[in-house]
Amino acid sequence: MSDAFLQLQNVKTHFPVERGIIFRRHIGEVKAVDGVSLSLLQGEILGLVGESGCGKSTLGRTILQLVPPTEGAVILAGKNLAQLKGRALRESRADFQMIFQDPYASLNPRMTVFDTLVEAIRAHKTVPSSELANRVSELMKKVGLSPRFLQKYPHEFSGGQRQRIAIARALAVEPKLIIADEPVSALDVSIQAQIINLLAQLSREMKLTLVFISHDLSVVKHISDRIAVMYVGKIVELGPATDVFEKPLHPYTKALVSAVPIPDPEREKKRLRVILSGDPPSPMNPPGGCAFHPRCACAVAECSRTVPGLDNFNAARQVACIRAKEIN
Amino acid sequence: MPLLELSNLRTSFHTRHGIVRAVNDVSFTLEKGETLGIVGESGSGKSVTCYSLMGLIPQPPGRIEGGRVVFDGVDLLCCKPEQLRRIRGKRIAMIFQDPMTSLNPYIRIEDQLIEPLLIHERIEYTEAVKRGIAALEEVGLPDAAKRIRSYPHEFSGGMRQRVMIAMALITKPDLLIADEPTTAVDVTVQAQILELIKRAQRQLGMAVMLVSHDLGVVSGFCDRVQVMYAGRIVESAKTDSLFHQPQHPYNRALQNSIPALQPKGTALYTIPGMPPDLSRPLPGCAFAPRCEFAADKCSTGEIVLKEVAPDHRSACLRVQQAEIKV
Amino acid sequence: MTAAPQPATLRPTDEIEAGHSLWQDAWHRLRKNKMAVLGGIFIILLTIASFVTPLVASDYYKHQNLDLGATPPSHAHWFGTDQLGRDLLARVLYGGCISLSVGIAATVVSVVIGVLYGTISGYIGGRLDVIMMRAVDILYSLPFVMFVILLMVIFGRNIILLFMAIGAVEWLDMARIVRGQVQSLKKQEFIEAALALGLRKRRIILRHMIPNVLGIVIIYSTLIVPSVMLLESFLSFLGFGVQPPMSSWGTLINEGAKSMEECPWLLIFPGLFFSASLFSLNFLGDGLRDALDVRASKD
Repeated sequence: MSDAFLQLQNVKTHFPVERGIIFRRHIGEVKAVDGVSLSLLQGEILGLVGESGCGKSTLGRTILQLVPPTEGAVILAGKNLAQLKGRALRESRADFQMIFQDPYASLNPRMTVFDTLVEAIRAHKTVPSSELANRVSELMKKVGLSPRFLQKYPHEFSGGQRQRIAIARALAVEPKLIIADEPVSALDVSIQAQIINLLAQLSREMKLTLVFISHDLSVVKHISDRIAVMYVGKIVELGPATDVFEKPLHPYTKALVSAVPIPDPEREKKRLRVILSGDPPSPMNPPGGCAFHPRCACAVAECSRTVPGLDNFNAARQVACIRAKEIN
Repeated sequence: MPLLELSNLRTSFHTRHGIVRAVNDVSFTLEKGETLGIVGESGSGKSVTCYSLMGLIPQPPGRIEGGRVVFDGVDLLCCKPEQLRRIRGKRIAMIFQDPMTSLNPYIRIEDQLIEPLLIHERIEYTEAVKRGIAALEEVGLPDAAKRIRSYPHEFSGGMRQRVMIAMALITKPDLLIADEPTTAVDVTVQAQILELIKRAQRQLGMAVMLVSHDLGVVSGFCDRVQVMYAGRIVESAKTDSLFHQPQHPYNRALQNSIPALQPKGTALYTIPGMPPDLSRPLPGCAFAPRCEFAADKCSTGEIVLKEVAPDHRSACLRVQQAEIKV
Repeated sequence: MTAAPQPATLRPTDEIEAGHSLWQDAWHRLRKNKMAVLGGIFIILLTIASFVTPLVASDYYKHQNLDLGATPPSHAHWFGTDQLGRDLLARVLYGGCISLSVGIAATVVSVVIGVLYGTISGYIGGRLDVIMMRAVDILYSLPFVMFVILLMVIFGRNIILLFMAIGAVEWLDMARIVRGQVQSLKKQEFIEAALALGLRKRRIILRHMIPNVLGIVIIYSTLIVPSVMLLESFLSFLGFGVQPPMSSWGTLINEGAKSMEECPWLLIFPGLFFSASLFSLNFLGDGLRDALDVRASKD
């Protein structure tokens, strides 16, 4: 795609596993992200789902260059971030920001909201002091907080309010891309709704490209334009949110969707459940072939030999399963 | 006679910032073999209710101020320690949210698993081990005979939760209390665990009390559901009618704020404001300041849980007086 | 209205609410702890008395009156006099000046070295961290008294050496503690957020790391002071420390112990002051720990 705003080309992030105190021996690798290619349009919201340990958070941090990729390219608006270093990388950080899972840990407890936001505004721009107060108040209003609270410290806010402050901090540098890593998982149901609404509204108004990482499929379905499903470091399915959720193609997505509890007793009783056995494999030595084959009900002998690529199923959807056409 | 009957349970915590009334006048019953769901957000008192009836509230700072918890004719709050020991861990078992912290990391699974058997049933060690292995096989642990000798850290999160369930079920309890049993695990594992509890329930005919913040989990699992808010039960009904004909504004607001039930792309309903500070006295309905239906009497009137439809109780004054339909 | 910069968009009715920083909260909690407050007051008074006495009466502590000899406490000499007729009160206060100086100086040395060393080791991590920490282990295993004796033999008896010897040992704990804190801070999301904002390393360390490590450093330093004072008195007791006519509490206790039976006051008063200040510092340290502990401030 030529008009892609964010493009990932065969991104791999491997962490070496070493033993020994001073003389380290290389004993293996955790392939947290293992060959991910994607492209996103400007203003698009991509939901990234998967179970814990599937590499979705690492992928998010790799895109933001908080973790350097082992291989591959991360191209944002024509610039390959993976090749930037030092000062150039630091300066380009104004274009992409992150929202974290734990609003209790993502704000410096010793700084007032005002200081936190001012630091973010001044990270990349010189703003005269006279204008600063205005900018900060605007940010607070944008995320639905009263500027009255500017001189307060993070511990004086509730979880939802803190998450709003974290969002304001991310917006302060006027980024084009935001990666939100489980931004609502630590919040109560009623507060989750507030944050989801806010993110959806901001992305619409500011034409933000958003990667929304979550383990909660129903939240992701609600907010995203497209969904990417990850399993052991690879994307196994990619497509429009409603399609993926309602007519999943990959056996793993099917199991995932069917495991999501629906708060409607009637629908809950009627639907068919695919219950997987066992746990996801360790990313240090995933099974050969398709990583899902030991748990897959549709697996054939071929599945343990061939690593499936993420191939087009139809114009809009891609799936990494050699039997995709047969079983759907 | 119901298996478990709570009446007017009140539990509070005496902290630096004053007295926090975590559970405020909670009454309900649970029949043999029934599955009861308790839902609410953090701080609603759902977990404290379970801990109170298990006698697991740390005292101080916690204190059970009043009420009765009658299990099969015995009041657990004022019976002899001897009697309590015979019930707790044998006839009432509990599964906790975090299997990592509720298993002792220094003791083999084997010894933790069969401990209740040795204490409560006084059977031979080898016999107990046999039953331990059988219990692990029952919860789907592969290679149980060998893995029973492992330590907790050698298992994955899902496996540890299964071990916890095996441990809870090994004495064949009459009541299983599951406090957020699937919050710390992934959805596919959650489905496995819920299935496991359901199967065990069918086999043993035990009653289950499932505490969760996730309306989805309780909807597929429970016969009856109670919604808690700020230390009180605000609504209690059969699962179907609780979800399809909500009779309390809080329950309705909660359901409207869940993405799974709303059409894609629409703005989710949000409850304005924040849960109340439980260390301050809350006259009237605790939800009134955030409620779109609130009237003057809501913040002054006395709030009681009353039947508003067949087998459906609500604590909303205006619903009780048929002024509103939520 | 607070002194904070006021956003122009605010209506006059929107008053900015003042926040309470964790430091303010800690101060609030500390004030409620009676023992810690008493300890703090005692230390402040003692410090003032100890440092003012040598200024106003610079030689009085060594002024001998051999005719008088050792006398029990009296109107003229509140704490009595020693065998050479020197006023014990003056000597105790002068000794306090030495003991507290040693304590504070050695603590400052150990805090500076320890915080720098620990922060670098913890922040950079990897192989450098391993090497730096093994170095600490090696220094730990040196027998301290042997080390001091060696220094004395080579350089002669010198109070500066004493500081150095004590400081060289005390910073090891501080380095380990700070390293642990920095390592756990590094994993906190707000540090990652600062990196994602593209802030410079220097700013991240100064604004985000140090203020969050400071609490534990303060707590630990109040506990280092008494342990250093103990070390000093131990060395003086062994005869390696401060030399006469200068006095520290260690040497005074040493002298007092020799004539414990004839003139008990020579042991009682220095001993009393010494234990009271150790108690006070420990109470203050405990109070600070309760007040500054982040876990406690969360609820």
